[in-house]
Amino acid sequence: MKTSLVGLLIAIAALWTAPVFAQDLSVGEIVKKTNHAVYYQGKDGRARVKMTITDSQGRTRTREFTILRLNTDTRDEEQKFYVYFHRPADVREMVFMVWKHVGGDDDRWLYLPALDVVKRIAASDERTSFVGSDFFYEDVSGRGLDEDTHELVDTTNNYYVLKNTPKDPSAVEFDSYTMYIHKATFIPVKVEYEKNGTVYRVSEALKVEDIQGHKTVTKSRMKDLNSGSETVLEYASVSYDVGLPEAIFTERYLRKAPRKYLE
Amino acid sequence: MSSERITAFVTRRPWVVAGVMLVTSIIIVAMVAVPSLWPAEAPFLNGVRVDTDPENMLDHDEPVRVFHDRMKKTLSLYDMLVVGVVNNENPNGVFNAASLGRIHALATYAKSLKGEALGLDDPRAGVIGVDLIAPSTVDNIEPGGLGEVRFEWLMKDPPKTDEEALAVRDKAARLPFLEGTLVSEDGKAVALYIPLSSKDLSYEVSAKLKAKIAELGGDDEYHITGLPVAEDTFGVEMFIQMGISAPMAMLVIFLLLLFFFRKLTLIISPMIVAIVSVIGTMGALIITGNTVHIMSSMIPIFIMPIAVLDSIHILSDFFDRYQQTRDRKKTITAVMADLHMPMLYTSLTSAAGFASLALTPIPPVQVFGVFVSLGIMLAWVLTITFIPAYVMFLPERTLANFGAKNHEDEENTANATLVGRILRMSGAFTNSHARFIVAGALLLAAVSVYGISQIQINDNPTRWFKKTHEIRIADKVLNEHFAGTYMAYLALTPGEGRQESLSDYTEGMFARLDAKAGKEAGDVPEYAAVAAEAKKQLGTLVAGVETKTALLDAWETYARKKYDDAGVGEDIAWDDLIAFIDGERQRDEIFKQPEVLRYMARLQEALLATGVVGKSNSLADLVKTVHRELFEGKEAYYRIPDSARAVAECLITYQGGHRPNDLWHFVTPDYRTSSLWIQLNSGDNRDMSAVVASLDDFVAKNPPPMGLETRWFGLTYINVIWQEKMVSGMLQAFLGSFLVVFLMMTILYRSALWGILSMIPLTLTVGLSYGVIGLIGKDYDMPVAVLSSLSLGLAVDFAIHFLSRTRALYEKYGHWAATSPHVFGEPARAITRNVLVIAIGFLPLLAAPLLPYVTVGFFLAAILAVSGAATLLLLPALIHLGEPMLFPKTRPRALACQRGTCIIAALAFAALVAVNVHQFMGLGINSLAGTAIAAMVAWMGGCWIVGRIYRCGLDPIDDEQ
Repeated sequence: MKTSLVGLLIAIAALWTAPVFAQDLSVGEIVKKTNHAVYYQGKDGRARVKMTITDSQGRTRTREFTILRLNTDTRDEEQKFYVYFHRPADVREMVFMVWKHVGGDDDRWLYLPALDVVKRIAASDERTSFVGSDFFYEDVSGRGLDEDTHELVDTTNNYYVLKNTPKDPSAVEFDSYTMYIHKATFIPVKVEYEKNGTVYRVSEALKVEDIQGHKTVTKSRMKDLNSGSETVLEYASVSYDVGLPEAIFTERYLRKAPRKYLE
Repeated sequence: MSSERITAFVTRRPWVVAGVMLVTSIIIVAMVAVPSLWPAEAPFLNGVRVDTDPENMLDHDEPVRVFHDRMKKTLSLYDMLVVGVVNNENPNGVFNAASLGRIHALATYAKSLKGEALGLDDPRAGVIGVDLIAPSTVDNIEPGGLGEVRFEWLMKDPPKTDEEALAVRDKAARLPFLEGTLVSEDGKAVALYIPLSSKDLSYEVSAKLKAKIAELGGDDEYHITGLPVAEDTFGVEMFIQMGISAPMAMLVIFLLLLFFFRKLTLIISPMIVAIVSVIGTMGALIITGNTVHIMSSMIPIFIMPIAVLDSIHILSDFFDRYQQTRDRKKTITAVMADLHMPMLYTSLTSAAGFASLALTPIPPVQVFGVFVSLGIMLAWVLTITFIPAYVMFLPERTLANFGAKNHEDEENTANATLVGRILRMSGAFTNSHARFIVAGALLLAAVSVYGISQIQINDNPTRWFKKTHEIRIADKVLNEHFAGTYMAYLALTPGEGRQESLSDYTEGMFARLDAKAGKEAGDVPEYAAVAAEAKKQLGTLVAGVETKTALLDAWETYARKKYDDAGVGEDIAWDDLIAFIDGERQRDEIFKQPEVLRYMARLQEALLATGVVGKSNSLADLVKTVHRELFEGKEAYYRIPDSARAVAECLITYQGGHRPNDLWHFVTPDYRTSSLWIQLNSGDNRDMSAVVASLDDFVAKNPPPMGLETRWFGLTYINVIWQEKMVSGMLQAFLGSFLVVFLMMTILYRSALWGILSMIPLTLTVGLSYGVIGLIGKDYDMPVAVLSSLSLGLAVDFAIHFLSRTRALYEKYGHWAATSPHVFGEPARAITRNVLVIAIGFLPLLAAPLLPYVTVGFFLAAILAVSGAATLLLLPALIHLGEPMLFPKTRPRALACQRGTCIIAALAFAALVAVNVHQFMGLGINSLAGTAIAAMVAWMGGCWIVGRIYRCGLDPIDDEQ
């Protein structure tokens, strides 16, 4: 009796609040749409990326790679990535491949041509540096939505401000991160990571372009306020629905890059 | 103003003297106290600034420091606190769940010590968290399952069981970077390396860490060390020393004076002279904006004995004569007239001895020398003005019982005392056994020469603390467990002057381009045509550029454009070409070249063989480790791979961890400068020098590839450099002041022979003290080096007093046999009193918490004893033997008329010029010789001209009187 009463009250409350959110969205929906806008647009995608790492002394290093992405389900979950390095010349032909599994550990491979080895990479977490930059592997392939609890802390004219708190705080180095999500495009324009009440890491979308009808971030930056270093990614020749065959996302193609899809 | 008029003035107006002195002292104290206590109130004044940084032994723009600072910045290296954790209760040391849990908590806490937590405005100032080395902040890299490599935090969470704790140990022991650094070689201890944005924060950070450690509890032992902590602690103890040891010394001197003169009111005057001299000197030091450094903190200790020295002579003489006249004014006037010359000369010579330190290339030693000599002259001024003035304050009736009733009485009573009897006996002994004494002195001199040849030049700032000090204990414990807590770095850079010409370069490059074309032919059919086209373009580009960089940039711009315009297939070929251009640029990245890394590894082995280097960490170790882990962790793969590309792949793999930027502590992002981090288990300069020598030897036998050049930096190395400068600088400074003093003596006595005679006690003293240092194996370090100046200053004082009084008495008695007993009366007693007062007065320094002060205290006593003995035994023996030469029946009228004296003085002057010119201008031996000969000729010319002007007749000595 008592439980059903509580259930009824919740149902009423839900009915009451539903109209309020009708024009806006639930937190869950915002999160899903954002996730889609950042990682899952199109059936597949390709971009040539120039990465510039600038350290606190102003010294820069650049890397260039092509990133191929294929969605392997329609639920915005399973995905495969193939990252082929063009520059610097000495790591040319190096490949980093990911089979992303939401809710489980991703499979990751690294192909090192000069050493002639293909290694699977096991890491205690995905918050290790992506090839020495200020981006983490997780920033490249996306963080599972279920790993955080999401809270809409503010809605401004242009942005949803979402605070995300990890369910397992020991698995990550931050206490929480706040996303400023553009209402119309669901692109997170700014993400701030906090530890002990201080923002120490900031990611920003610096340029958004419309490519084949998809709003796409074509320039982004990650700043590490602790080390004073920052990394800028510039996406050139982005295309969607390229028709990437799933076969190229396999170990076999690590040693023999599908160059046809890489230029 | 002549001395008589000074004495007349101050005895007439004693209140003026006392007033001026008091007011000046108050002003000086205020000028120091106000800006120190309320800096905001007096921004234009300098407060007390303490500087305990041994780095400041060298000038800021000294090349080794400039390089050190530059490399620290380039490679983001910081000064570190080292916290060692040891557990002697548990058989596995700290590798148990509880201990590691506490270490985890401490590391997390240490990371938070920045910005606000330390009350700093800059949020990044404080502990540099990203570079902190602790089990919870470093990566473990190991082979996972088949074909798998694993990156993980070494100790992400505190271990739950002891088994997990041991697993942490075993993982770390596999990694060359961590073994011996983070985890001790015996697998029992852990060390945390806590980098600080600034050394100044070390005291506060270590205090906070200590509080946290206390809060954590447990049975672990924590040792905090590292140069920054040592420096801060030194600063604190330095003040304790200045606050306790110096006043203690003063108290003992006071008691001794009381014992000798038994007149409290009278002996307060030398104490006032000493205190005011110290206030004036330290005040001047601080007001002029100089820092209180380990050297300058010793100024009071040096000034005090010298300041009371002259006063004791005055009091001694006054004590003797007062009862003859019972008139304080007459007595003091007579005393001052008697002592005027010896006092002026003793002060001048002592001051010259210390002023010569200004010639050393070490700023704190220069400051020390200048201010001590300033203090000595200040003490002299106070002695000749304030002491007579003070005597006038004493009512005649209080002096009624002062001194001996009459001269004969005094002599008799004094001779009856133990000191008096001994002195009388020694006086007789010097006459009867003159040859024996001289032979003994020669023997001692020979022993000294041998001892000096055995001297070990060495220093180590950590050893400035006593063995029982917690810093010394930490130092010992940690260096037993770990590879070493003393850091030195070796920078490797490509040599200059290995630039190949542009045409040579393009020739080689074309060959590589063709080779690549051959390789690509199968994969990219378009490549051959593209390469040919690009080559043609390069031919036109090369005319317009001067450097290889400019050429490659222009070429790439061209290729990029072609790539953008190219159709399918051809674009791949152009991309290949752009990669080729990039590869050409990377040919300059020498620290990816296997031969360079292998050389580096061999060099590390050579350094390890010295035994002092506990461990060295380099880019080569990093590459080898990653390579091994990529090949299932097999030891056979712990090596440098065979190509630069393979090296690059190891490095980029390493950078996929949690701490990618650790790489940049070992190499710059352009791969043109690399640095080895060397952990030494001893901070002795001698050991560091041995490492430097073994590197030089290795490099000489194994010429480095690519013309690599090596250059040291790091605090341990900087210490070696300033020590080298100090040793040679001190030697030259000593030579310089020795010559100055000799010239002054020659002029004072108008005889080179007397000049030489007066130098004998100090030469023997300095020789014997350094001989003993060599014989007992005491390291020649900074405080020991400074002692040579002090010996010179003090020992010559006794000689001056002795010889001046001897000459005066000789004129009265006519021959040595009659003079000797009188010389061994009051003058000898004054010297003996001085020796005892100062030697005993400084024994409290033996209780000082810091060893440099102990050394100074001990040698001060020894120097005084030796120079006193040399003065009272050797000088009379020599006078006894050389009486006919020293007291000739006829004497030329002017100094310049004495040919021998003039020539010797000219030689001394020439040598003096040479020493100074060498010091200041760094001239070589040849130009030095020229300058010296010119100076000598000039002086001799002077002698000749003066000799012509005066008529150098030989006057009978009696005519002069």
